[in-house]
Amino acid sequence: MQENYLAKWLNNELTETELSEFKKSDTYASYQRIAEASTHLEAPEFDIEGSLMAIKNQQILNEPKVVRLHPFKKFLRVAAAVVILITGSYFYLNSLEDTVVTQYAESKEVLLPDNSQITLNAASEISYDSKNWNKKRSIKLNGEAFFKVAKGKRFTVATEDGIVAVLGTQFNVANRKGFFEVTCFEGLVSVTFNGIETKLPAGNSFIAINGTIMENTVADTEPSWMNNESTFKSIPLKYVLLEFERQHNITVETKNINTDQLFTGTFSNTDTELAVQSISVPFRIKFKFEGNKVLFYAENTP
Amino acid sequence: MNTENKDTVCEEEVFSTIFKDNSKTVFNYIYYKFGNEEKAYDAVQEAFVKLWENCGKVSPKKAKSYVYTVANNLYLNIIKAEKVRLKYADKSLKTTHESPEFLMEEKQFKEKLDRALDGLPENQRTTFLLNRIDGKKYAEIAEMEGVSVKAIEKRMHLALKSLREQIEGI
Repeated sequence: MQENYLAKWLNNELTETELSEFKKSDTYASYQRIAEASTHLEAPEFDIEGSLMAIKNQQILNEPKVVRLHPFKKFLRVAAAVVILITGSYFYLNSLEDTVVTQYAESKEVLLPDNSQITLNAASEISYDSKNWNKKRSIKLNGEAFFKVAKGKRFTVATEDGIVAVLGTQFNVANRKGFFEVTCFEGLVSVTFNGIETKLPAGNSFIAINGTIMENTVADTEPSWMNNESTFKSIPLKYVLLEFERQHNITVETKNINTDQLFTGTFSNTDTELAVQSISVPFRIKFKFEGNKVLFYAENTP
Repeated sequence: MNTENKDTVCEEEVFSTIFKDNSKTVFNYIYYKFGNEEKAYDAVQEAFVKLWENCGKVSPKKAKSYVYTVANNLYLNIIKAEKVRLKYADKSLKTTHESPEFLMEEKQFKEKLDRALDGLPENQRTTFLLNRIDGKKYAEIAEMEGVSVKAIEKRMHLALKSLREQIEGI
């Protein structure tokens, strides 16, 4: 009898002789009965459909796991937009310069990060980058301002007409329409005007009126407007009147007057009546207040 | 099987067919091993959920042996085999016109068979029942158990031998 003949027998793999031999054995009946009875056995019931449903339901429950990527992507999109917005505005704000503006009849003091001081005269504007101040001391000026520069790196004041560069000193820069004036009160100031550099020692001033350069000397230690006065030395009357307008926030009109005459003198920045007299008396002209206007006119006209 | 023509188990239709063809056998397989209906049910669930989760990696051809392996590994060495309770198909009792003595004798025999089955080593019992109840060929059982056909024949032979010995009280 071959190996595992019982298994072969159940599988109908026995040869005829083997089978007949097996049938003759006294154990055959028992095996026959076991084989027969065992086919009537049943395993516990199993609900195929129910079980499949349970799995499918579980899949539905698990489904969000798979889909979750989607809202996350959406979130990423929003997050990316926010990041771009934040970084964008950061750089934008960072590149924004600090700007200080004064109106007519107003002056302001500005303290820079390195303790340099700027006093801004009426109707003027400065802008600078306070974040990178220690790397680059540079000011853009439109108008007039007095600078007390702390010692340190090169300090530049850029105006439309010229560039002023210093290391540490006190100076005044006035840049009005057609009028550019730099006065050095302490140290040495370098003025670049029309590409020409001029060294300006203390007590000197550099004036350019409509491109014509003049040099003057000053005895004061700070500009007169710091003491609420405006001082001029051989300056055409029209620039004097413009300054007067700025200081007193008043409109000036002239009649029959040559505004190219040179004016040397001082007027008050606080007392309008006094200031008007300071201007009119040396020229022997008359004035008349008309509301927020002052009219200067020659004596021989009504 | 038409499922084998399709590419992926991820197709719900393919998956359902595989489930319907094999879940009952997986259930029985685990039940024969451990005699615990609940665990067998869980094993089916677990194995097929795993199959679904890995549907991209398992080809429909491999799906069958995959679920057996997963189901088998699930309780390997973890739960102790309990008593296997098998029912007897009703038809065997209905169709009989035998005498009460014969029926009594038959009943006693089945009780003995029951006990004898319980006393079999797990691998012999599983093999024997898969063949007798589920009609699985030795080759199929060999694939499920991951052994050779010859090993299954050996188990089958030994199962029959010890069943007879048990029943006859040898």
